[in-house]
Amino acid sequence: MTVLAHGVGTRTDLPIPIGLALFGAGAAILLTFSILLLFWRTPRLGGAGSGRPLPAVVQRAANSSALRRTLQAVTLAATVFVVTAGLAGPPDTPHNLEPWVFYVTFWVGLVPASLLLGPVWRVINPLRLVSRALRVLLPKPPGAERLPSLGLWPAAVSLAAFLWLELVCPGRSLPGTVAGFVLGYAVVQLALSVWFGEGWFAVGDGFEVYSSLIARLSPWGRRDDGRLVVRSPLAGMIATPPMPGLAAVVIVLLGSTAFDGLTRTVFWQSGPGASNNPVIGTLGMLAMIGLVTAMYVIGTLLSGRLARQPLAVQPGRYAATVVPIALGYTVAHYFSLFVLDGQTTWILASNPFGTPGVDLFGTYTNVLDLTAVSAGTIALVQVCAIITGHVLGVTLAHERALLSERRARASDQLPLVIVMVLFTFGGLGLLFGF
Amino acid sequence: MTRPPALLRRALGGLLLTAVVALSGCAGRAPAATGSSSGGGSSSGSGSSAAAGATSPAARTITVTVTHGKAHGDTGRIPVPLGTPVRLVVTSDTADEVHLHGYDIEEELAPGKPTTLTLVANVPGVFEVELHELNIVIVHLQVG
Repeated sequence: MTVLAHGVGTRTDLPIPIGLALFGAGAAILLTFSILLLFWRTPRLGGAGSGRPLPAVVQRAANSSALRRTLQAVTLAATVFVVTAGLAGPPDTPHNLEPWVFYVTFWVGLVPASLLLGPVWRVINPLRLVSRALRVLLPKPPGAERLPSLGLWPAAVSLAAFLWLELVCPGRSLPGTVAGFVLGYAVVQLALSVWFGEGWFAVGDGFEVYSSLIARLSPWGRRDDGRLVVRSPLAGMIATPPMPGLAAVVIVLLGSTAFDGLTRTVFWQSGPGASNNPVIGTLGMLAMIGLVTAMYVIGTLLSGRLARQPLAVQPGRYAATVVPIALGYTVAHYFSLFVLDGQTTWILASNPFGTPGVDLFGTYTNVLDLTAVSAGTIALVQVCAIITGHVLGVTLAHERALLSERRARASDQLPLVIVMVLFTFGGLGLLFGF
Repeated sequence: MTRPPALLRRALGGLLLTAVVALSGCAGRAPAATGSSSGGGSSSGSGSSAAAGATSPAARTITVTVTHGKAHGDTGRIPVPLGTPVRLVVTSDTADEVHLHGYDIEEELAPGKPTTLTLVANVPGVFEVELHELNIVIVHLQVG
């Protein structure tokens, strides 16, 4: 089980049909230029101050620290239980609950959960509870003043570490490896949170930053006056504060998902990846992240140059507009894993320690159904996800250009938009298998 | 031209559907019989299998030989149409265990002795055939 991409899984998707790939590419081009030329010519999405406030009861519940701590305690108990099952349960991956919960239910499930409910991991993050208990060690965090200068760079680093584990690390699917990562991650995060204060998690915990970034595309948001509101997901995304390192977070996500796609191609499997060498895997992942970085930076700089904008701010300014594209890639690559191999979590949860005769929920004897969703449906979801992400990305970039220069010419946006089209072609190409 | 809010509603609807499918999917049904495996036997892949009926696609034999830790023969990715009866004949110069993922068929390999896995390729997707001891993938079976 150690060779397969993305941590765990029993299968990978079929290449999408050539017709669907070409249709997707054509739609991307057509929709891009429609947005550029026919959409609004003045900013109109609304920013940080937009949205209709939710009822007071909901506001109070969502802001209740007692509720948060209760939920964090529940997540903490669940985490401890799953890691214990990882270490004490059956040693082989197909029968051990932990890798499936961690890679599929948690990591992939974080995407729909955040998209529907908002920044869930921030609310239920068990590390926040433990960090609070550890505060007796250093009541006044010595690093708290330096924290804002770090921006989101720590999150980019911790996400890259997790993605390396998921996509490259030898033995990544083994329960012991996963338990080691979870415990090591918790220790490092807790130590840093004691040093920098509880504010650390919002910028340094990759999972929390990932969830919060996706939640920007949920219908829920916090207005600049602090009230919880319901608003257009596009308004939520465009109001993302341009923190240093945001572009790095987005690029790490996009680049590593592209690498995941690359490892499923015949080219990779019969070429560089055939040896299953972690050094080659690491280089491949770095190469994909590097390629995405180069394309993104060149696109934003050229656009800035045409529009006579200060170049240094350009890459950071457009980072949020790439989030939907990264999200589209993510849905395309993980949809089938979630709905097919994700069943394993519910089967194994019925007997977490592999004890003979135990079947808590009566699901332990169920068999993984790899035909629950047809290959045609998977291909359609994949192409729709990529195209939807692309359209939202181009729309956001259009609005962002108008926000920075009221009389921005459509042609100024061309370099960045072309890069987005190339990302989309690349995404479709990886699904097609080149 | 669709306005973004409508697009988003659709995207969110799609995600909701995903969640529903994921939750209902946990019911899990057993796939149709995936055939059994048999050790030993001749490795001569004639392609004629008793499992091939009149209406099903022609049977397919995939032959892989592993020597000095490397796979030879039908390696890479082998496409077979859905419903094809497949005979996977594996010979290794060392003792090992061959595993076809997804279909979850495992068989012990004795050194130098051809071992045949038989199955009907009725679950679509790309599946790895792995040797556990050497920790290598010898061939990918692409069904669909």
